[in-house]
Amino acid sequence: MKRLIALFVLSAAPALAQDTSPAQLIATYEAEAGRAADPAAGAAFFMADHTGGKPETPSCTSCHTRDPRSPGQARTGKVIEPLAPSVNPVRLTETKEVEKWLGRNCDSVLGRDCTAAEKADIVAWLASL
Amino acid sequence: MSPRTSLSPFPLVPVWDVWVRLFHWALVLCIGGAALTGFLADARWAAVHLACGLGAAALVIARIIWGLYGTAHARFADFLPRPAALVAHLRGTDGRHRGHNPLGALMVLAMFAAILALAFSGLAILGGWLRLGPLAADLGTEAGRAARAAHEAVALVVLAMIALHVGGVVVESRRESENLTRAMLTGLKQVRPGDASPAEATPKGRRALVVLAGLAATIALAVAALSARPAPNLPVAEIDPLVAAECGACHMAYHPSLLPARSWKQLMAGLDDHFGENAWVDAGDAAEIEAWLTAHSAETVDTAPARIFARTDPEAPATLTEAPAWKRLHGDLPDALFDRAPIFSRANCAACHADAATGRFSPFAISIPKETAE
Ligand code: HEC
Ligand code: HEC
Ligand code: HEC
Repeated sequence: MKRLIALFVLSAAPALAQDTSPAQLIATYEAEAGRAADPAAGAAFFMADHTGGKPETPSCTSCHTRDPRSPGQARTGKVIEPLAPSVNPVRLTETKEVEKWLGRNCDSVLGRDCTAAEKADIVAWLASL
Repeated sequence: MSPRTSLSPFPLVPVWDVWVRLFHWALVLCIGGAALTGFLADARWAAVHLACGLGAAALVIARIIWGLYGTAHARFADFLPRPAALVAHLRGTDGRHRGHNPLGALMVLAMFAAILALAFSGLAILGGWLRLGPLAADLGTEAGRAARAAHEAVALVVLAMIALHVGGVVVESRRESENLTRAMLTGLKQVRPGDASPAEATPKGRRALVVLAGLAATIALAVAALSARPAPNLPVAEIDPLVAAECGACHMAYHPSLLPARSWKQLMAGLDDHFGENAWVDAGDAAEIEAWLTAHSAETVDTAPARIFARTDPEAPATLTEAPAWKRLHGDLPDALFDRAPIFSRANCAACHADAATGRFSPFAISIPKETAE
């Protein structure tokens, strides 16, 4: 389903940088989930320790820290630019990037894809920071 | 004059001119530095080693010129050992030589030859193994390896010659009851009855300088011209933008020449379980990345890293840091070093190798960063 949505959005707008916006992403994920986004649930999801994923990465905060407005760090030592669009405006503006990273990171942390509802919550929380 | 020489019944005369003495002690420094850094230090000392070696070779060349135009005892004419003189010296039937005696002269010549051989084999290592310098266009890692073996063998021979030389000086000093080391510092030696009479010679300093400058300019031009030639089979210089973006997101983008094509294929086939992370890329991008990585893989270049890392760990064919050569090279570094900021991981090559992105890993570009706060 994730791929289908991505394909839908991609065919609507070519995969150039900045083919979407946080608001559009939230709307797309809300439509798919059939409920409104909940930023507080997004925050809780982001901070929580999960099981089922890879042991090295129990939480989103393993790499992004508890404050997505500040830089994080990959396990390799490489700096990860902040996730919050308020300090890093290129974030959440390219469908292909967002789908790719949520696809990877949800699997690394939870051992599964995130649901559309979870994605709506996460994006809404990051956009609210 | 010191008490000891004033007690001596023999008058002192200048034997070793200032250039011979400067040459001798500067050579001691250069060879000492090159031997220490070559035999004992790790690759981070390569620049010092190279400077010492080139310095020694330059000194020998200058000394050879001085051997043609210098003062009486500096000249080859004074000490080139003729067979008859050698035999006489071995039998002890010759007079005392104020300059080099025939055996010492043999040692001098052998030392010059060995040092020049070291310099040349060193340049062959630089060209073939590191693919740098005037011979980079002519030699590859195969020749570089052979040059390395030869360089090490000659270096051991030089060590043995130094031991013989020092032993010879000690023995002769005793036998002649004249401190030869000191003579090489002051330049003065005693005149004794029965000394072999030295050939007269007026030093031609200006001529020597002109020849030296001419030779230096010729060598510098030749090295510059030879080095300017493009060397074949070097790693691709530009990282494909897609690879740089996709494979440089979580760590430095490893240069494609560091691993053989089969390793890259295996790595690309397992991106959804990539070193404890999911790193999938969509099928189209994955095909493009794999094609580019394999088109510039280790097999396509001739560099030392490509050669040594091509032997991968069969259990982890795409893990550079598990390759036996990687472990051997980094085995002396403490484990804790790799965990601390700003290194964080063995795989963070760029933290210590300034040229990691190019795939060259030159020893001249290694420096371990100071610890920083996380
Ligand atoms: C193993 C480290 C790691 C973990 C764990 C991780 N991420 Fe990421 N994340 C990254 C990296 C690396 C990037 C890309 C950085 C870049 O583009 O500079 C990224 C990018 C993102 C992006 C950015 C997409 C864009 O628009 O650029 C989002 C959103 C994101 N992660 C969310 C999450 C969430 C949610 C979790 C928890 C489920 C999570 N991440 C866990 C490493 C991680
Ligand atoms: C989602 C993050 C991520 C992405 C994207 C990624 N890697 Fe990695 N990679 C890692 C991690 C984490 C390691 C383990 C590094 C460590 O031990 O510090 C690693 C290790 C490696 C290693 C082995 C390093 C060693 O230890 O010798 C290679 C080679 C490698 N990656 C190649 C690639 C290539 C090629 C790509 C692009 C197709 C890629 N990586 C994309 C996260 C990533
Ligand atoms: C903590 C710092 C550090 C890290 C990280 C590191 N190296 Fe090194 N590396 C060194 C040092 C120091 C040497 C010199 C070792 C010696 O000569 O004994 C070296 C030597 C080498 C050499 C041989 C150079 C020569 O000419 O002798 C290669 C090739 C190399 N490293 C490759 C790598 C690769 C590939 C990585 C990443 C996967 C890496 N290194 C990560 C410090 C590091």
